[in-house]
Amino acid sequence: MLNVDLIEKMRKIVGKENLSISSCELYCYSSDASQIRGVPEVVIKPLSTAQVSEIIKIAYAHNISVTARGAGTGLSGGCVPLEGGIVLDMSAMNRIVEMDFDNLQVVVEPGIVQEKLNKALEPYGFFFPPDPGSSAMCTLGGLIANNGSGMRSVKYGTTRSYVLGLEVVMADGEIVRTGSKTMKSVAGYSLTDLMVGSEGTLGIITQAIIKVRAIPKDRSVIFASFDNPELAGKAVVKVLASGIVPSACEILDSNIIRAINTYDPKIGLPLAGAILLFEVDGSEAEVKEGVNLIVKTCEGLASGIRTASDKKERDEIWAARRLAGAAISRLDPMRTRVYVGEDVGVPIKEIPKMLRKVDEISKEFNLPIMTYGHIGDGNLHTGMCIDMLSDEDWMKLNAAADRIHRTAIAMGGTTTAEHGVGSARSEYMRLELGNALDIMIAIKKALDPKGILNPGKMGV
Amino acid sequence: MSNLDLRSILKCVRCGTCRSVCPIFEQTGWESASSRGRMLVAHGIYHGLEADQDVLNSLNTCTTCGLCEQMCPSGASPTQIVQNARHHLVLKGKMTDSQAALRDEATSKGNPLGETRYRHAWLKNASDIKEHAPYVFFVGCLGSYRYPELTRRTFDLLKKFDVTLIPEEVCCGSPLLRTGSDPDFLISKNLEQIKKIGAHTIITGCAGCYTTLRNDYPDGLKVLHVSEFLAERLSEMNLKRLDIKVTYHDPCHLGRCNGVFDAPRKIITSICELKEMKTHHQQSRCCGAGGGVLKGYPDLSLALSKKRLEEIPEGVDYLVTSCPLCRTNLQRGGPKVEVIDILDLLEMAMK
Ligand SMILES: Cc1cc2nc3c(=O)[nH]c(=O)nc-3n(C[C@H](O)[C@H](O)[C@H](O)COP(=O)(O)OP(=O)(O)OC[C@H]3O[C@@H](n4cnc5c(N)ncnc54)[C@H](O)[C@@H]3O)c2cc1C
Ligand code: SF4
Ligand code: SF4
Repeated sequence: MLNVDLIEKMRKIVGKENLSISSCELYCYSSDASQIRGVPEVVIKPLSTAQVSEIIKIAYAHNISVTARGAGTGLSGGCVPLEGGIVLDMSAMNRIVEMDFDNLQVVVEPGIVQEKLNKALEPYGFFFPPDPGSSAMCTLGGLIANNGSGMRSVKYGTTRSYVLGLEVVMADGEIVRTGSKTMKSVAGYSLTDLMVGSEGTLGIITQAIIKVRAIPKDRSVIFASFDNPELAGKAVVKVLASGIVPSACEILDSNIIRAINTYDPKIGLPLAGAILLFEVDGSEAEVKEGVNLIVKTCEGLASGIRTASDKKERDEIWAARRLAGAAISRLDPMRTRVYVGEDVGVPIKEIPKMLRKVDEISKEFNLPIMTYGHIGDGNLHTGMCIDMLSDEDWMKLNAAADRIHRTAIAMGGTTTAEHGVGSARSEYMRLELGNALDIMIAIKKALDPKGILNPGKMGV
Repeated sequence: MSNLDLRSILKCVRCGTCRSVCPIFEQTGWESASSRGRMLVAHGIYHGLEADQDVLNSLNTCTTCGLCEQMCPSGASPTQIVQNARHHLVLKGKMTDSQAALRDEATSKGNPLGETRYRHAWLKNASDIKEHAPYVFFVGCLGSYRYPELTRRTFDLLKKFDVTLIPEEVCCGSPLLRTGSDPDFLISKNLEQIKKIGAHTIITGCAGCYTTLRNDYPDGLKVLHVSEFLAERLSEMNLKRLDIKVTYHDPCHLGRCNGVFDAPRKIITSICELKEMKTHHQQSRCCGAGGGVLKGYPDLSLALSKKRLEEIPEGVDYLVTSCPLCRTNLQRGGPKVEVIDILDLLEMAMK
């Protein structure tokens, strides 16, 4: 249990300006971008690994739960302290510790924001590829803990592919280093992989060795319009089978098209039933070949197709696409986007079928569902907007989300392709994972026997 | 709860976009000092969160610079909600000492500076105040009391174009509106006189007055910033080209909040070379003074000013701005070049 003495002790560790028990502050740390709520008893902003370790030792000794938090942009309640206790706001540990480009890597603290890291890498000609819609605000720690990804994952993979090693503070306060600076190592179980995607339930990440890539010389964006999302889904399957690997492959349905046009009227997307945005990157020749192949493959299915004229148009469309999910709220002043049931993934072949099912669910519940997302890797975001003051809307929303989750699982898909389980999706873990969940529970017990790290998450 | 509309608070999806641009959050690093935090606090107040000093600090450290609102993907209005939440609490008697001081001074003296001197003391010739005119120059409190010289010179220029003054001008109401108090009595006092004068257009040299006159006074009055008024009359002013380079600070309440970007730049570029600051136009960084922050949280305000001054490009001779409040705060930050008003620049070119 937390008490005044323990708080005093922790205040001494981090300094008085880095700890707060103000009810106002606690309220501000009671949520992320999901609908999950939980108020912490104290918020602490550590500045070093040693401080994290000291705090965790106290928490361990006194059975106090600890929930790590990056920028709080999560969509699953991951950083929400369901049992009160301590929230560790890691955003002040945001330094780049080392830039080691000869080894194609950088060492960072977890609080650094994705976009800030990329801005720092750019002058050297490198980048960190995973690019979630929340790049401008989310932290590397949050990305690693959620194994987040984004529009480029169809070519570049998820955050996992870029984590070579980690420094982690374990549940008892012990500081452990996993992985190494080598590009390959098979020494022991891959604890790095275990930590990536563990959502703060197994340890607190305090440093990461991150692989970076050289910025491609050239890129081009293709807009392909379709009469309906299902046709777009078919085109995606065909393009991916043609051997070309686009660096992005995004779908926008008609509502999202409207939302983007409202958010940034400069963009003026054609009002089609669905649009696919493809990006190809690489050398000039590779890009040219890729563009030609995509255009050819979409012919017959697409109602219109064109390439972005310049870098400016490209940057604008990606900037708007990143925030499209939230921009849906602009379509109707009475409604707000609610992130529930928003992150399913299905095997690529099932994409057209999943799109059709989502449409059916939308009609059945009489609830507009807007579809967008990283269709190139089968990841669909289903965006729902409701009147936040209507109980009936909330009921419809939750029922539709439940149906979407179960439909995806039935197709061999997943309830969450990138946003994480948190507590928003923990109830589906048994259905989705079967007895593999028991292994997860066993691991959790072994590494966090007292269950102090982010309790109530991931079904463990 | 009249002023705290739950539905507009719930427009916020807590995506955190604003958190990554809010200059105050950047300074303190605590959620309660970001716009997302302030939206949550407003929500909390609605649901009975006690309005203690921390709540007041959260709400009152917003400069109302509007950057969050501009970037917000979901179309929420955090700046407006902050002002509404302040107002809601003031109505219940909950406010900071600085809010109370602003309100009391403005109520008793007609200006938030506590000045009791005659407002137009800078005016050399009382007969320049005409009974009727198509244009009035709204001086503002800082212009009247802190920059009387500049004001006199501005008016000397304006009066050639059929511009008069409001004989008993009082504060436009901006400091009260921003900090949650009721400005109605000030607004009516100014309005009555403007009506008597029969003016169709108000000209002001202050960004705070500008946004208030334009958005919080009843419709039907045209409002121009001095720079807009003069940018249309450059040909009549016989300007000579100056061999200097300057940079320009967009006041939030003039630029981002009201879209006045071009007129000041038109004046500058017709006189000398303009080199933009690191952020400008819609993305322009706040000087840190607005929303009652300079008065209520001078240290925070100073830190923002210093950050803004770091954005001055190399090799410029002056930092030009078009708002006395911005100028005051930028001056506090210890600029490496002199901070001048756009009028000062015009005058240099007229001599
Ligand atoms: C508009 C919008 C668009 C988005 N788009 C995408 C997208 O395209 N792709 C995507 O993958 N996600 C997306 N997200 C979701 C979210 O941004 C990501 O999950 C992100 O990785 C969360 O990072 P964060 O820093 O905000 O972490 P938080 O939300 O603060 O925390 C997320 C999880 O990480 C844990 N955690 C944080 N730091 C640490 C640490 N140092 N050690 C251990 N655990 C830690 C927390 O406990 C929690 O479980 C989007 C969110 C929004 C609001
Ligand atoms: S940007 Fe808008 S929706 Fe996002 S957290 Fe800020 S106010 Fe809320
Ligand atoms: S108006 Fe400016 S200071 Fe206020 S919350 Fe928004 S970004 Fe921050």
